[in-house]
Amino acid sequence: MTDLLATSPDTWRDRTLDPPVIPPELHPPVDASPAERNRALWARHDLRRQRAEDVYDASRNPVRGWPVSGNRAVLAFFRDLLTSRKGMFAALVAFNALAAATGLVVPRLLGELVNTTVDGGGLPLDTLALAIVGVVLLQAAFTFIAQRTSTIFGQDLLSTAREYIVRTILRLPLGAVESASTGDLVTRVTRDVGTMSRSVQYGLPMAIISLLTVVLSIGAMLLNSVVLAVPALLTFATSAPAVRRYLRRAPKGYITEGATYSRINTTLTETVEGARTLEALGLSGERVRAGDDDIEVSAQAERYGMTLRNVLFTALNFAFQTPRVITLLVGAYAYTRGWVDLGQITAAVLYVEALGDPLDRLIGEVDRLQVGAASTSRLLGIAEVRPDREAGDRLPDGTDLVGDDLRFAYRKGHDVLHGVDLRLGVGERLAIVGPSGSGKSTLGRLLSGINRPRTGSASVGGVELVDLPLEVLRTEVALVTQEHHVFIGSVRDNIVLAREGSDDDAVREALRAVGSLLWVERLPQGLDTVIGSGRYSLTPAQAQQVALARLIIADPHTLVLDEATSLIDPRTARTLEGSMNNLLEGRTVVAIAHRLHTAHDADRIAVVIDGRIVELGSHHELVELDGEYAALWRAWTS
Amino acid sequence: MQDFPPRIATFFSGTSDAPTPDPDTRSPAAFLRWMLRQQWQVIVLSSLACLLWLMPLTFGPYIFGRAVDDGILGGSTADLLTWAGVMLGVVIVGGVFGVVFHTLVVRSWLISLYGTTQMVTRKIAQMGHVLPRRSPTGEVLSVASSDSDEFGALTEILARSAAQLVSYLTVAAIVLSMSWQLGVLVLVAAPVLLGAALPLLRPLHRRQQTERSRNSELTSMATDIVAGLRILRGIGGEETFGRNYAVQSQSARRAGVSSGIWQAAVEAVGVLLSGIFLVSLVWLGTRQVNAGELSVGQLVSFLGYGLFMVGPIRTFFELAQKSTRALVSARRAIAIFEQRPPWREPADPVPLDGRAEIVDDLSGFTAHPGLLTVVVSAVPEQSAALADRLGRYLPPDTDPVGEDDADGLKGRAARRARADRERRRARIAARDEEAATRAWGVRLGGVDLSAARLDDVRRQVLVSDTGSGLFAGTLQDAIDPHGRLTREQAEEALRIANAEDVYDALPEGWQGQLDERGRGLSGGQRQRVVLARALAVDAPILVLVEPTSAVDAHTEARIAARVSDLRRGRTTVVCTVSPLWLHHADRVVLLRDGIVVADGEHADLLEHDADYRSVVVRSLDDHDELGEGVPR
Repeated sequence: MTDLLATSPDTWRDRTLDPPVIPPELHPPVDASPAERNRALWARHDLRRQRAEDVYDASRNPVRGWPVSGNRAVLAFFRDLLTSRKGMFAALVAFNALAAATGLVVPRLLGELVNTTVDGGGLPLDTLALAIVGVVLLQAAFTFIAQRTSTIFGQDLLSTAREYIVRTILRLPLGAVESASTGDLVTRVTRDVGTMSRSVQYGLPMAIISLLTVVLSIGAMLLNSVVLAVPALLTFATSAPAVRRYLRRAPKGYITEGATYSRINTTLTETVEGARTLEALGLSGERVRAGDDDIEVSAQAERYGMTLRNVLFTALNFAFQTPRVITLLVGAYAYTRGWVDLGQITAAVLYVEALGDPLDRLIGEVDRLQVGAASTSRLLGIAEVRPDREAGDRLPDGTDLVGDDLRFAYRKGHDVLHGVDLRLGVGERLAIVGPSGSGKSTLGRLLSGINRPRTGSASVGGVELVDLPLEVLRTEVALVTQEHHVFIGSVRDNIVLAREGSDDDAVREALRAVGSLLWVERLPQGLDTVIGSGRYSLTPAQAQQVALARLIIADPHTLVLDEATSLIDPRTARTLEGSMNNLLEGRTVVAIAHRLHTAHDADRIAVVIDGRIVELGSHHELVELDGEYAALWRAWTS
Repeated sequence: MQDFPPRIATFFSGTSDAPTPDPDTRSPAAFLRWMLRQQWQVIVLSSLACLLWLMPLTFGPYIFGRAVDDGILGGSTADLLTWAGVMLGVVIVGGVFGVVFHTLVVRSWLISLYGTTQMVTRKIAQMGHVLPRRSPTGEVLSVASSDSDEFGALTEILARSAAQLVSYLTVAAIVLSMSWQLGVLVLVAAPVLLGAALPLLRPLHRRQQTERSRNSELTSMATDIVAGLRILRGIGGEETFGRNYAVQSQSARRAGVSSGIWQAAVEAVGVLLSGIFLVSLVWLGTRQVNAGELSVGQLVSFLGYGLFMVGPIRTFFELAQKSTRALVSARRAIAIFEQRPPWREPADPVPLDGRAEIVDDLSGFTAHPGLLTVVVSAVPEQSAALADRLGRYLPPDTDPVGEDDADGLKGRAARRARADRERRRARIAARDEEAATRAWGVRLGGVDLSAARLDDVRRQVLVSDTGSGLFAGTLQDAIDPHGRLTREQAEEALRIANAEDVYDALPEGWQGQLDERGRGLSGGQRQRVVLARALAVDAPILVLVEPTSAVDAHTEARIAARVSDLRRGRTTVVCTVSPLWLHHADRVVLLRDGIVVADGEHADLLEHDADYRSVVVRSLDDHDELGEGVPR
């Protein structure tokens, strides 16, 4: 046998050479002149930008885990969402435009008022005051309707988007689900859905509203006085390069920040859940340091974002605030020339002051939308997993399960099965034993139609398992693993999985078969009691019975039990013996066994070593043979 | 002045950092005060910076009014230029301090956020296995991940509110100096407007809470679907759970719409009230101009101030909302931070000798020095309980009490529920303390474990229970978390635990990444890596609980042989009923109802002790998943 640790000397690392979590260049210099400190600040900023770009690139091209879709898919997704709600969208735009427009009338009226006060002409004061009251009332009403529309629109958009994502997850190919880690998916349905929610629910409507307000304000300024508006608007425009640069960099910075926080949370989650392990091994101190390191890294990401914003604010403060001075000077000059009156100057100053806010918000929202788009692309990536099978229309003729010349590789060129032939008799009980890594679990997966063999065929009743529609496959062969997840849902929902149309009688029958009808009926709402994490909690034995009842409902003629000894926790074994017997009654069973007595009781035993069946026969035959199995049996029983 | 990340070294003394003060956990308000006091300089300075940043808003309308009066209407170019210059100066100061304010606010926010997270980590490190007995995991995490953010938000809103208050009073003074009626109007306006809008906040707050709880429900349903995805795709049920999710999603949508509409109402009322204020100001102002009491420029200033008022009012609104939320968060934080470890270090700790025999009085169990003892029990919990006692761990027999108010109770009912939770927590703590301070009942070399320092106990006795988990990191970090093994030692540990296949499966070998909690490894692989880690520690006394329950018979046989070989000469206790281990045991001990009823050699007991035979044989039947019990 080859030495699996052959490369160990090459991959072992000397930890004294581990680089610090934060490179020393990212710490500000001590005892440096102000000029040096300033130079060092920008050097750090550049370094942090590099780090952010790296994190961003890594998030776009994950080494492991599920794919990430491109920007085009994200745009198409949002376009579809918007076009399917044209009416709602039009209402959103219209009401927000009205609210913004009425708001913009107020400064104009105030200007009028000043004019009247100065030269007594124009509309009488009380009429003007009443007009302002009217406009304010309208503005309040429109604000309410507009915000209400945005909320309804945003929530509708959001619920559609998240339901779509969950439906996509529920369609993921069986093979991919069985082999991939769920950690990445969990992050996507929690953190990425959260980020997407914020941008869909607030970001999108807000961006639209701010954009409307900006456009209308500019219109109002020009209407008020072109002379006064143009210099102010030009000054506003000087911030454009800074804004563009910011918008190009900030999303990567925020995505990096987000990643550091999720890292902090992951570490902390492990620390809480492994509290006892840490205490036992004396690792608490290391763990505290690991947490501090995560925070150091996060602080660097925060500093990058902070500097980006400071640079932006410097430009914006100049561009948004100096127009006050400019408007004043230009206004005074134009006034002496008689081009404008005092009312227009007043209104212009009020407009200038009011424009900064929506512009600020617009930049913020665009920035948030980009972060949301990055999360959305990770969510839509789930939809890009290609289906691993296409259901044919042939239905099995008979219930005999046959594996023929089965080969399979997880990594190209590394077959874990080397041509296994296996024919199961109807109602037969076959045990598969063998050391870990011998390929027995893989064999189980091929025999239950989870994966398609690289060569050879695994068929039932003459039809390839992987060519069966999933609903049919599930009622032919079921793979039973050590997982016995209890879903958040009613007892009924937890049991009818394979045949979702089952009536309550069938559910009760299944519960009775596994011996749980009694306790289920004693639950506060019987079959309707909501169980699962955070709800009514089941004992381990009850959870296992629920898992068994699912299989009774599925009623496959063949069961493949993989490490199913762990399904039956030794602590609950006694209660479950009967339940398990009832399930297995009358079915063909392939048991991948840890315990030799399982093998002892089986009709036939297949000993799998290095991807091949090396011994096959009944217990007695194999003991007679005096090979691998016999040696093990002696060790077990002596 | 403090900077972020802050240096926090409270609760846990296992690092070399000099300790920092513990938080004040007497009440939520006291906690928040303590937290603010920790960084008062930053908050005060950021408040000052904010005040300067607000200068264009505070003085802008006044300057503009003067420019109109003296410059434009007065026709003096010099005055105009002077006022324009003043305006420019104010704008520049405002711009510079805007950046300063932002820098300081980020700092104070992150000091609170990171500081809280660090305190949570240190609290976990300090409490060890005792914390999960008392507090639900989710709540410990949410203090670090979401409550910490509320504390950060509080520092920001406090600094901004203080600055807005000063700025508001300054504006009122400016207006007062021009017209007492209008000044009074400005002074009265803010409290009146706030008072009028505050009643709307309570129902809004309630709806937001409903929205939040429905959303978190939704998230847990999505997580649940992902966690059970293999079953959903393998056995079925996509439609049912897809539908359940959709139903919950719609209910979350409705809650969101309902709170959004209230938010819209609050906004609209804000627009209306500030509009009315503006109109009153204008109307009064124009009358005074007409009466000759005010100049036109002053009227123009008032118009500017009329719009300015929105800022402070909105800020005070935010202060009201955020301080309520911070108080709720503080209550949750206290529930974690106020816990104290139950252990009391003995005044004269006796050093332990791991080479001596270890005796448990309760069960009558003795592990002889240097031998491999296997503990057999028909009820696995009882041997696990024995292992816990040998390692001085409190048993996992409590129901953790959280601070989250899941029922959405209000008023008196909420207070009652809170008091009840506090009582339950106190009860658990008292019980822990009682168990931890009296004689423990396990003696190592004649010394009761309670007479020794706890870290000495941990060094001498390593208990690897079934809950032992892996942490994200490289395989090297998993086997050698302390970083004190040589490569050869680590290789040996992997070989003995027969976990070389884990190394082989990772293309990067020792530097291959394991996911958090070892997800991505099979149950058997995980168990073998955990075992390798425990073996590599080389503890004087090693207690293994069901170390190979998820490992196949071939491998288990190999592991049992190698472990017994490796541990020869040091005390080892294994809790299992597997014959493959029993075969290698120097001594076997049988527990019934948690009490030792027989001990001796496996073969002897198997032959002569009917009880023992029935447990070992019984255990075989228990595993009998094919259901055809064969008489033996």
